[in-house]
Amino acid sequence: MEPIVVAKNLTKSYTKGLRALDNVSLTVDQGKVLVVMGPSGSGKSTLIRTFNGLETFDKGELNILGITVDSTHDERKIQKIRRRVGMVFQQFNLFPHLSILENITLAPVQVQKRRQIEAEEHGMYLLSQMGIDSHARKYPNQLSGGEQQRVAIARALALKPELLLFDEPTSALDPERINEVLDAMRKLAEQGMTMVVVTHEISFAKDVSDRVLFLDSGKVIETSPPDIFFSNARHERSRKFLNQLDKN
Amino acid sequence: MLKINTDSIIISFKNLRKILFSNLFNSIITLLIIVLISVSCVNTFEWLIFKADWKVVISNLPLYAFGSFPPNEQWRPATWIISLLSLSIFTLCGPEWRWLRKNLLIIWVGTIPLGLYLLYGGIGLSPIMSRHWGGLTLTILLTVCSSFLSLPFGIVLALCRQSSLPLIQKVSSMYIDGMRAIPLIAVLFFGQLLIPLFLPVGLEIDRVWRAILAFTLFVSAYIAEDIRGGLQSIPNTQIEAANSLGLNQYQIIQFVLIPQALRIALPALTNQSIGLFQNTSLMAILGLVELLGVGRSILANPEFIGQYIEVYVWLACVYWMVCTIMAVLARHLEQRMTINQANF
Repeated sequence: MEPIVVAKNLTKSYTKGLRALDNVSLTVDQGKVLVVMGPSGSGKSTLIRTFNGLETFDKGELNILGITVDSTHDERKIQKIRRRVGMVFQQFNLFPHLSILENITLAPVQVQKRRQIEAEEHGMYLLSQMGIDSHARKYPNQLSGGEQQRVAIARALALKPELLLFDEPTSALDPERINEVLDAMRKLAEQGMTMVVVTHEISFAKDVSDRVLFLDSGKVIETSPPDIFFSNARHERSRKFLNQLDKN
Repeated sequence: MLKINTDSIIISFKNLRKILFSNLFNSIITLLIIVLISVSCVNTFEWLIFKADWKVVISNLPLYAFGSFPPNEQWRPATWIISLLSLSIFTLCGPEWRWLRKNLLIIWVGTIPLGLYLLYGGIGLSPIMSRHWGGLTLTILLTVCSSFLSLPFGIVLALCRQSSLPLIQKVSSMYIDGMRAIPLIAVLFFGQLLIPLFLPVGLEIDRVWRAILAFTLFVSAYIAEDIRGGLQSIPNTQIEAANSLGLNQYQIIQFVLIPQALRIALPALTNQSIGLFQNTSLMAILGLVELLGVGRSILANPEFIGQYIEVYVWLACVYWMVCTIMAVLARHLEQRMTINQANF
């Protein structure tokens, strides 16, 4: 079976020779959940954002859903990828001038040219999956952070993506709101959604992920199954990071 | 209930006395100002009621409203103005019918072709040339048409100024900065006197449309800057979110950027349109008989010579009334939007 994400030697450097990504290679198979961990500034967000073309890279090759992009950053290919890949952001990034349902139906109607009624039906279904269908006519600022993030997940699902990217989806939430979002993500994983998740939530990584990738200064330090990573990480650097995370 | 009221009045009265009559100097100043205010009030009312001769206003009311529009066709501009007025009232305190509220904007835009049809005539109505248009009708027409045309033009200019293509960006910056460096009266002169010289023989633009064109060229530069401010205050993450959903550049502009930028720029845009309404009075100098022009031509009539104050007080009232209606409408629109508006 074709893997969903194949990254080969991705490298992105800033001027002054700083490297955001340093020879990063990884694969994600269909239906698997990859959790990306690492200290801040380690390039986690940069990495995940290259997957749908929000970031460019200088060297290497990326294959998403069978579409290969290289450092030339071909707009057309990236558009094709974006139609099949959903993304959830740290700050939700809902459109404040649109109602919840309009937020969700915008892309299906405009990008996939689906009929408004059909998109709304599907949107309501997704909202009920997320447990927030009663808010469909409200506007983003009337919802709590956790609810907004679940709307953002529903919006990402509306294009029926084959891969979901999560960029620290719970970092901007109140502690008691984190679980409602994580539960929604768990449900998606159970349904077989392929996901790449940047997060610091150890419990989520332990329960849901198939592999944990640890990144530091743009380099892949190790990629291990969660039970090994959290109990007996191979590298000194990962253990140090996990200790730090435990203390907090 | 009543007791609390009288108590609070007594307290505030005591406070007033403490502030205004705390010592001899303050007391004298206070008394002086009271005398000044009352004298001027008395004089104003005396003038308004006894001295002023309002015949110059009352006998010329149709002239102020319609200019030299043929008397037996004056129901046409009257219909237009009344429909605008009733639409304003409806917008402000009409019922909350969802389908109607949704289409209110379209109805408002629809008043422009309606007005033009009623004024020009044509199908079913006797045609009337634009040189017969005048008065408040012409003032409103100039304002409405120029605002309506300069909004899309301003949006395009603002987008071009944000463009990543250097040529487009430079040209629109030059246009905006250039327009803002020229006084409006110069642009209007250009429109009235120079455009006819530049145009090939046989092609002629109506004087009213030349004025509208000049206003549009001028105001759109300012509108572009207001909208640029709106565009710049939209966080970049909005564009990223739209990108991640596969929307293309034009869809992002249409569905994400412009609606948000317009909401943010709305108070500034209101300012522009009220300013535009007042600036149409400059056309009186350039020979259009709009509201101020009508006033001037009435004052030139030997019968009413010297009655400047009556005419200008009356004109000020009319301008004030229309501006207030515009401001109230705009505030209403703002409030309706902030109900749904997020905090950025």
